[in-house]
Amino acid sequence: MTREVQAVVLVFVGGAILRITASDTYLRYVKESLRPWLLASSIILIGLGLLALLDIVRESRREQAGLSVQGAAERGHLGDDSRGGNPDGGGPRLDGEPDLNDGEDDSSSHHHAHGPSRAAWLLLLPVLAIFLVAPPALGSYTASRQVAVVAAPGSDAQLPTLPPGDPVPVLVSDYALRAVWDSGKTLEGRNISMTGFVSPGKNGKWYLTRLTLTCCAADAIAVKVLPIDAPSAPLPDTWVTVTGSWVPGGGTNNPNAIPWFKVASMKVVGQPDNPYE
Amino acid sequence: MSDQLSSSSDVTNPDPVSASTNAGPASSDPTNSNPSSPSPQSKWSFGSLEVLTIGLVVLILGQRWIASWFTSPELRTAATVFVSIVVQAIPFLVLGVVLSGLIAAYVPPSFFVKVLPKRPALAVPVAGVAGVLLPGCECASVPVAGGLMARGVAPAAALTFLLSSPAINPVVIVSTFVAFPRNHEMALARLLASLLASVLMGWLWLRFGKGEWLKVPARDHLLGSSRFQSFRQVAAHDFLHAGGFLVIGAFAAAVLNVFIPTEWLQAVADRPALSVVALGLLAVVLSVCSEADAFVAASLTQFSLTGRLAFLVVGPMVDMKLFALQAGTFGRRFAVRFAPTTFVVAVMCASLIGWWLL
Repeated sequence: MTREVQAVVLVFVGGAILRITASDTYLRYVKESLRPWLLASSIILIGLGLLALLDIVRESRREQAGLSVQGAAERGHLGDDSRGGNPDGGGPRLDGEPDLNDGEDDSSSHHHAHGPSRAAWLLLLPVLAIFLVAPPALGSYTASRQVAVVAAPGSDAQLPTLPPGDPVPVLVSDYALRAVWDSGKTLEGRNISMTGFVSPGKNGKWYLTRLTLTCCAADAIAVKVLPIDAPSAPLPDTWVTVTGSWVPGGGTNNPNAIPWFKVASMKVVGQPDNPYE
Repeated sequence: MSDQLSSSSDVTNPDPVSASTNAGPASSDPTNSNPSSPSPQSKWSFGSLEVLTIGLVVLILGQRWIASWFTSPELRTAATVFVSIVVQAIPFLVLGVVLSGLIAAYVPPSFFVKVLPKRPALAVPVAGVAGVLLPGCECASVPVAGGLMARGVAPAAALTFLLSSPAINPVVIVSTFVAFPRNHEMALARLLASLLASVLMGWLWLRFGKGEWLKVPARDHLLGSSRFQSFRQVAAHDFLHAGGFLVIGAFAAAVLNVFIPTEWLQAVADRPALSVVALGLLAVVLSVCSEADAFVAASLTQFSLTGRLAFLVVGPMVDMKLFALQAGTFGRRFAVRFAPTTFVVAVMCASLIGWWLL
């Protein structure tokens, strides 16, 4: 891989990360809290790539000025740390040191073992996947392969009452937590709306489902709620908002319980900006 | 621009000095030979920049055709998991290569001589505890460990740091504490088991490891005319190098994540001894970032706590993407010996600490 391509790959990888982070696309793959880190790393990568390109342009200019040949001979003592005391801030130097880099990395036969290996080409794979395929958010395929999990609450303290609202919007994971680990006490008597996608269950049942992420989509965990009296069974991966109320059923104090929800009305909606909870 | 540059390389190419300085100890590695072979006569050579350009044009023209391959739910899911593992790992990898660039350019080798005990056997536990200092995941620790070795730190100590830092840093321990609200002792068990396993691995390397298995990353050729340029070149080189291998690991993890049936897990859930090994293997396959794996372990409710501890101890030390990163950074001969041994040691440490604490 030549130095030009190395620089271009750095800019591409940084650019792809910047592109998905500037829109909401990154939310298909990772947690929202990673955003500042993604932005920072994309800027660092683009910066490294652009500065490397600048080095190449500078060196080729200098070589055109005919200053390259004697510099090559001074290459032998460059591995030591003598440059530590060198106050040069990376500006143009006219003693042939920069020519070291030409000899090392250009498309000449002797640069092996020192440049990044050919594996670096593979970094273009995720870039191409992002730009050409744009993989969608995980959905019912992942959910139906998993056992639903409702994690126990962090402490035995009383769960806070739901905020005012009629209906009050509740996260699927919050509903499941309150229904399974608090016997639905904080849900009883409220008109509740929830948004999730449809994942198929056994015997024609379907679940209102949401995936929760900790870090990235590879650690997605499914939370499922069983709708009771739903007017119809939408196709898998359809996003719906259901309004209704809590009913006992599905089990309590068991992390693998799937709580019930009595549906009064249901409407098909678009995928939310953040498909995960 | 490219024809200028390839002709300029033709000028420097026959220089005997450059040829000898570049013949490093690992120069027999065939993977790095350049596909293009410029002849001194030709003004214009077909190099990797041209390959890149033509490849991109073809891919962009064929975009609809390529996107049409990804219609089955398995492939779409695998593609999503692949992209998310890479995207999630990139900030940590950037953190790691920035640190390794800083070590190469700004930290003199004498610093590590001063802070680490002279005897490698003592330096190993010190390096293990020092793992607390790097709040990253395993993607960050590989380039940093490579940078430490290149700066003269004993390989055994650098390897201990490599294993301990993703497992025992404060972010990971706090997330473990949060993920197991009813079993707070899990965080302590994880800390102790991971530290024990990484120090044991350091001592094992000291006793049985052979220098020829390990390819210590070379740095000298990357040093530029200023400290900042050296920093940039080391960071860029390490990113490209480790990043390529990260992609291999993420690809393998995504395929396994989607195509391996999950039923076998249920089958071993109620056999304690088997489940420890099975969850260790699951950690290898899933390649979840060490900052998130506690939540995945918490969700594996059908397993014993000791089994889940094995998941948490093995995950940051051996997994698909880490194996690929190690193979890329330290050589395949190293990785095929080091990773399986680490797996065995990590499972044993987890069983021991789990039996004692959980």
